[in-house]
Amino acid sequence: MIKVFINPDKFEKFSNIIIKPLFLISFISLILGLIFSFYLSPDDYQQGSTVRIMYIHVPSAWLAMLTLFIMTIYSVIALVFKISFGFIVNSALAPIGATFTFICMFTGSLWGKPMWGTWWVWDARLTSVAILFLIYLIIIFLRKSFSDINFGEKITAIFIIISSINLPIIKFSVDWWNTLHQPASISKLSSPSIDPSMLRPLIIMLVSFMCIGLLIAIIRIKAEIIERKQKI
Amino acid sequence: MQTINSILAIFYREYKITFRNFNDIFTILVFFLLGILIFVFSIGPNKEIFNYISIGIIWTLLLLSTNLSINKFYKNDFKDGNIILFYMSGLSFEVIVLIKLITMWVFFQLPFVIIIPIASLILDIDTEKILLNLYVFLIGSPILTSLASISGSMNLLNNRNFAISSIIIMILSIPLIIFSVGIVSATPELIEPQLNILIGILFLFLAITPWASAACIKISLRNI
Repeated sequence: MIKVFINPDKFEKFSNIIIKPLFLISFISLILGLIFSFYLSPDDYQQGSTVRIMYIHVPSAWLAMLTLFIMTIYSVIALVFKISFGFIVNSALAPIGATFTFICMFTGSLWGKPMWGTWWVWDARLTSVAILFLIYLIIIFLRKSFSDINFGEKITAIFIIISSINLPIIKFSVDWWNTLHQPASISKLSSPSIDPSMLRPLIIMLVSFMCIGLLIAIIRIKAEIIERKQKI
Repeated sequence: MQTINSILAIFYREYKITFRNFNDIFTILVFFLLGILIFVFSIGPNKEIFNYISIGIIWTLLLLSTNLSINKFYKNDFKDGNIILFYMSGLSFEVIVLIKLITMWVFFQLPFVIIIPIASLILDIDTEKILLNLYVFLIGSPILTSLASISGSMNLLNNRNFAISSIIIMILSIPLIIFSVGIVSATPELIEPQLNILIGILFLFLAITPWASAACIKISLRNI
């Protein structure tokens, strides 16, 4: 089973099986989530209708961090066990992570303008997410700045491992510093401080975002594998 | 005994090479002073503004002048093949990176101890703050050196894109800049906790750097 995640051949076979159900799930859950978030969830008593931005903002922020986490794990695997599938995953996932981070920052500033009064504040959480975006851009550029692409990938993997220090800083920045951005309200174990009627569309949107991200990742990884097979 | 001898030999070699190229160090110091003058010209001689931003200017220019010394680390040794001799000397690359860190810190960061008070006098900073800033500089500058070592070893084979090595230093140095500027402008009871965090960052980077730099050098040696 674990070979699915490290062997390109097994991965291709597995992805051919999984790709159609995944497409169906993401399609249905995206439509369901949009219906839920626009019509079946209540307005916030303070924020009014703008609270619906949360249903896109929060899942994309989680996925932006999750992508770097997956890339860190894969670069450790690739460097330690010399499995080159990790490099393929890294180069396929970096633009996806950058896109999710950009969506998170964009919707966040759209949400911040009516609620906080500014597009952008230099508070801890926002700054660390901006750094995350720059890290993704560097990961994309660093790989391409070497004439030997195999070498560039190893260097990029080391950079990814070093820059993953940023992940706990993003996660705990709202607890360590007293900031404008509100602290976590869902991932608090045992008692989430969010109403079930708002939690339901959020979970559905999270599932659909994850499926869409996975779908794009699978397509990109397959394209990358084909591209490398042609070069040999 | 032989290990100690070879370590001392490498120290002596580094010292000789860097001392003969003393012009480089002097150029970097002039760059630092010139940068501060440019800041003064672009903002205007308003003392109240300088009270807010002078420490930030000093640390930004320290970061920029560290960027100038990236290629002094391993690039020349790598080009003329000395790094293969290091490899054959029986020492591991982690030790060599540590030696490089110490010599580079002594030669390229320690001269700023003389320059920073002069720059602070130009910017009209209090004497207490100058002393505190020097103290913070002694803790923070090894972090800058280790960042330069990491990005210098990452870009050994990079002949296309020179800007990316500076960008790597800048993005990894953000916590250092936040805390080191924060300490100097903080209220007295907040100085010590932030100083502890800065020392923690220093030890973290001292632990990471030899490993990361040595891994990068080994990878680039295999791919010449």
